[in-house]
Amino acid sequence: MYFNKLKIIFTMIKNRIINSILLLTCVAIIFTACKSNPEEKTSEFKTTLSFGPGEEDKIMEAFLSIKDSTKIQFKEGRYNFNRLSINQGKNIVLKGAGPDKTIFDFSSQTQGGEGMRITDVIGFSISGIRLQDSKGDLIKLNKCTDVVIDSVHAIWHVADSTSGGYAIYPVLCKNVLIDHSYAEGASDAGIYVGQTQGAIVRNSKASKNVAGCEIENTSDAQVYDNEFYGNTAGFLVFDLPGLSQRGGNTKAYNNYLHDNNNKNFAKAGSFGTAWGVGNAAPGSGIIILATSNVELYKNRIINNNSSAISIASGLTVDDKAMEKINPAYFPISRNISIHDNIMEMGNAFPQEAYTHHMGQMLVGVEQKLAQQDPSRKNQRIPFILYDGVTTNIINKGTVANPDSICIRQDGANIFVNADIINIKSKNWHPNTDIKPFTCK
Amino acid sequence: MRKSIICVIGLTVSCAIAVMQLQSCKNGVKQPETSVSKEFQFKEKLSDYGFFTGRIKELKPAAGLINYELATPLFSDYSVKDRFIYLPKGQSMKFISDGLLDFPDSTIIIKNFAYLNKNKEKVMLETRLLVKDPGDKTWKVMAYLWNQEQTDAERFIIGKKIPIELLDTKGQLVATNYQVPNTNDCKSCHVNNSKLTPIGPKARNLNFTRAGENINQLATWAAAGQLIGLPALDKVTRMPDFRDSVHYSLDQRARAYLDVNCAHCHTKGGDAYNTGLFLEYEQHDPNFLGIMKSPVSAGGGAGGMNFDIVPGNAKASILAYRMNSVEPGTAMPELARTLIHHEGVDLVVKWINAMNGQFKKSRN
Repeated sequence: MYFNKLKIIFTMIKNRIINSILLLTCVAIIFTACKSNPEEKTSEFKTTLSFGPGEEDKIMEAFLSIKDSTKIQFKEGRYNFNRLSINQGKNIVLKGAGPDKTIFDFSSQTQGGEGMRITDVIGFSISGIRLQDSKGDLIKLNKCTDVVIDSVHAIWHVADSTSGGYAIYPVLCKNVLIDHSYAEGASDAGIYVGQTQGAIVRNSKASKNVAGCEIENTSDAQVYDNEFYGNTAGFLVFDLPGLSQRGGNTKAYNNYLHDNNNKNFAKAGSFGTAWGVGNAAPGSGIIILATSNVELYKNRIINNNSSAISIASGLTVDDKAMEKINPAYFPISRNISIHDNIMEMGNAFPQEAYTHHMGQMLVGVEQKLAQQDPSRKNQRIPFILYDGVTTNIINKGTVANPDSICIRQDGANIFVNADIINIKSKNWHPNTDIKPFTCK
Repeated sequence: MRKSIICVIGLTVSCAIAVMQLQSCKNGVKQPETSVSKEFQFKEKLSDYGFFTGRIKELKPAAGLINYELATPLFSDYSVKDRFIYLPKGQSMKFISDGLLDFPDSTIIIKNFAYLNKNKEKVMLETRLLVKDPGDKTWKVMAYLWNQEQTDAERFIIGKKIPIELLDTKGQLVATNYQVPNTNDCKSCHVNNSKLTPIGPKARNLNFTRAGENINQLATWAAAGQLIGLPALDKVTRMPDFRDSVHYSLDQRARAYLDVNCAHCHTKGGDAYNTGLFLEYEQHDPNFLGIMKSPVSAGGGAGGMNFDIVPGNAKASILAYRMNSVEPGTAMPELARTLIHHEGVDLVVKWINAMNGQFKKSRN
């Protein structure tokens, strides 16, 4: 069974019994096996249904009365829905004819938070469908276990603050695979995995979103072989306070993150947005915020013109972050390993960075560095920016790198400790010395 | 082969329904199947249950059907609601806490939705049933949609938009598309930790004396033997009536309103568990209550604001902003509301504006 295989993979990730190379090989073998037999045998399902365009009411009814072990196939064509939902069930498969052929349009949504909502399903798969133009999120999966999202395109044709927050949105789930999918136009994150245990995002793309992909308060996530481009920020690993679980143990590798220099259009009102993705500066490749045990390697991070990789603490975005420490939240990023990435940056900040509160900070760092060291005059801000907030402020320690930030990257102008805590004081001194942060 | 099986099943079901209908001719609420192990089957029509005597539209309870009210009800587009509990013969509800009563198997909770038209006539919309299935001991939901003639309501699972013109509580005529929920919408609010449960009939929200009565609602039931285990009433929490500014403080009324309208989802294990915003009446943690709390996944629904509640500043508070919207993706609650509840918004706005920077944790 597809879902059982998924479970095996995640068990392997969690237990970390075998080394990652062996793991990768296994993953490859298992999924190649699936691919060579893409049509699930209908006998695996107690119920198999098939619908075409024009049968929207029947489809809604089928969703509402769905029984365990059901496969629903959707023929080629355009379907118009107000919204769709499945609540509780086991082993449910939704299969379209392909993301360019089977199109679910939610532009007539009049109620609810999302176009498609899947809640409390164990064993859920959706593939070969394009979801588009809902008022809220496009597909939200709440409290599901063993989820496969394969060849799903989730798109808003108008990418601005009127778009929903998330295109592909599993939250409070266990074992999620997002494969061969595409997200466009989200006013928050295109692909967003929140408060989930075990997630793989791979072979997927995201463009024209505020964040291409975001892993938030999610444990044991692997993000690889993706392309995130043309967003405000390519890829985020965030932990926020006050939620059900802490994230961490995230790996991102072999991704191509490029040209993420767009305006941050998460801001939708007049008060300014200083939370979550609103903090992503235009021109960001990868941002790590208040999370631990993250490994970034062998990514190509090209032409994200404010910062290739930023490592920040909760304090940088929230003065009260230290008061929110509990078993599910720790604001200071720890155990971050960055190695063997290819990084390039354009000649100047994107224009949009100058009008964004975090973008302005990055611009300030570049100017300050040039001021401190005239030989840097025409040099860009270093690729990796660390806000420099460490557990020393809790422990009153003085160790240079108490939180195990480990960087192994060739080349020059790699790193800056931005000394954010002192940014408003005259003692502010960003420091480009990478030595304490070089992997031992 | 498959077709013939379907035929046989269909025949059996229709026979069963026919038999049930014959039985339902007797007066009084008919006992559903007595065999304990059998799974509950929803009937096709509301009249098939025999809950009401006389013209069904008048909702006159048959013998044994308990009519009840809540101190603070959920807002659903200014609809007029009638609530009933059907208990199987000889069985009673049990008081176990200030929360939900403990209901015996085969209990049916009935909630009828109607609106007042411009002539102040009550027009029936839908009737929702919650049944505690004796087969697997779980609660199940079903909606019944009233017909044009207003003579009966039929089982209806896919939800419906009904254009209506209704009178709100101020007597203003308002046009809207009333949304009959589909059965998954029912679950969105009624499921907690993967289990479907009733929401309304909590002891604390039943603990009051109804208008026109002399005796407390819970005490009435206890005296009739319909409720057992009820402690002295002063030991039972009382949910404030959100409209009653004579007996309750602004804080109590606002918190009661938020509990009843939001906390079925905004609670641990509820549909909005992921938000970290928890609005139960008992909640004391300022962060969970949204005070200076950044939203998690509100996206554009936050209206570009930074905090759920900014004490003293309702205009900068996402909570008030979303209550005051009917846009999908912004409007809260997400379901069963196409109109703004002005009385509710006013109350919460006042509550936020009256809040000091230092939020008071204690409440009487």
